[in-house]
Amino acid sequence: MIPDIIVYGDVTLIDLLIVVLTIVVAVIIAKIVTLNLRKTLSDKVRKDELEIIVRIAYAVIIGIAIISVLPILGMNLSGLLVAGGIAGIVIGFASQSVVSNLISGLFLMTERPIKIGDAVKVGDITGVVEDIHVMSTIVRTFDGVYVRMPNESVFTSSILNYLANVARRFEYVVGIRYSDDAEKAIRIIKEIIDEHPLTLVNPEAQIFVDNLGDNSVNIIVRIWAPSTHWYPVKMELLWKIKKTLEENGIEIPFPQRTLWFGKEEKKVEEVKELAEVEIPEIEDQD
Amino acid sequence: MYGSYDFPVKIELNEILISVEKENGNLIYRRKFGDDEVEKILLAEDAKLIVNPVEPVNKPVEVTSFLQIEFSRSVVVEPKSTRHIYLKFPVEIGVIVSSPADIEVLDIFAPVKPKYTLYGDPRNGIICKYWKSNIFSSIPGIDPLKEGVMELTIKNKVNEWVTITRAVFNGVEMKIYYSEDFVSMKALMDVSSKTVAETDFIDAPLKAGMKKSIEIYTARKIPIVGKKLEMEWGL
Repeated sequence: MIPDIIVYGDVTLIDLLIVVLTIVVAVIIAKIVTLNLRKTLSDKVRKDELEIIVRIAYAVIIGIAIISVLPILGMNLSGLLVAGGIAGIVIGFASQSVVSNLISGLFLMTERPIKIGDAVKVGDITGVVEDIHVMSTIVRTFDGVYVRMPNESVFTSSILNYLANVARRFEYVVGIRYSDDAEKAIRIIKEIIDEHPLTLVNPEAQIFVDNLGDNSVNIIVRIWAPSTHWYPVKMELLWKIKKTLEENGIEIPFPQRTLWFGKEEKKVEEVKELAEVEIPEIEDQD
Repeated sequence: MYGSYDFPVKIELNEILISVEKENGNLIYRRKFGDDEVEKILLAEDAKLIVNPVEPVNKPVEVTSFLQIEFSRSVVVEPKSTRHIYLKFPVEIGVIVSSPADIEVLDIFAPVKPKYTLYGDPRNGIICKYWKSNIFSSIPGIDPLKEGVMELTIKNKVNEWVTITRAVFNGVEMKIYYSEDFVSMKALMDVSSKTVAETDFIDAPLKAGMKKSIEIYTARKIPIVGKKLEMEWGL
């Protein structure tokens, strides 16, 4: 009979069919389990944690299925472990970068300096973390470009996570003319900041004259906002500050220089001398 | 303004206008408050409109579910004692459409100016909706469209005097009650050390005859993990 056809060793065609069937069933079970996990946990667990749980569940089910069918294929598990150990060393040397990415991926998943959905800067790449795989991390840059970064480079790069903390600070430098009232400008800026709902009450905004610049009196404005909303607040407030200051007669000056020329200086001195010449009084002649 | 209404309906009070009117065979929901206007089409027949105060943590954007009420004056509580104080809290108005099968949040608006603050440090702290309130020894008068009254029971469990300057609450389990002219909430603060306390809500009205608000977190079917809040970054 066809099923009794020996493929190799003691393994028959029916054994191979059982193996394929077991793997197919395992894949179906894994899909059903992961689908149900997503449904039940999507409200209770964060998206990135859910992804890790789903992947582990999928890998465990498939792994159990593979291990369970190995004896059918005539593979001795204890022998396989020894062979696997040696093969592991060989493969490890041969594929250092793969192993390095894998280990880095595992560290990224446990240490979690970044999470799915975080706005980050990794090396030169700035964007939103779309996914963290075992081997690579997917980042969507703010201009919508897909970037796949090997986990090794993510792990060894300095990571700036803009959403790791719940609040963050941003600042402006507002220059006003020397003739303007800096205290009035500070008061106006403070009112604008207080008026905005997303600027935090605590930590309080800092507004102060930071330095007397070449062309302007420079006021530093430091504002705290929720990390999730700081950028819209930053975009909105600067223009509002500029408009309100101008409405109140406070202007942001252009860079300017006052130049004195030698000849002009001479002319000025001549004028001064002329002014010092006594003008004879004209007597009234009645 | 608060209550349950059949369609069509038009409610006008102070600067607020809420209406559901039939136009070209469709029900149109309109809400106006100052410059803020909302218009939606309702495809419904057997439904009601419910207007009630909701948890004040939804507007202008959903940043947090926590509310911090800062006291205008510090409260110093004697050791091993239980005291009641009254505070004012901000109110947001929720408009909910209800049918026999389900309810849905149609609209939320905030008649008071919203503000946020950070409780704790930027790394581990929490963003909270901010409100500053006077402390009252009896129930104060309020504008129910803008404020509610919270009865806060402070239980000082430690054998020391404790100074409290604020109370932080997890808004997801607020129990708000309302009547035509009053909005209230009851809360509890268990002080376990000079710097740590736990806050929680009591599901009871402040006055007899008040109705319980439909909570937004219930209406939106948002799963709630925990309702108590550990104030671990100072009182």
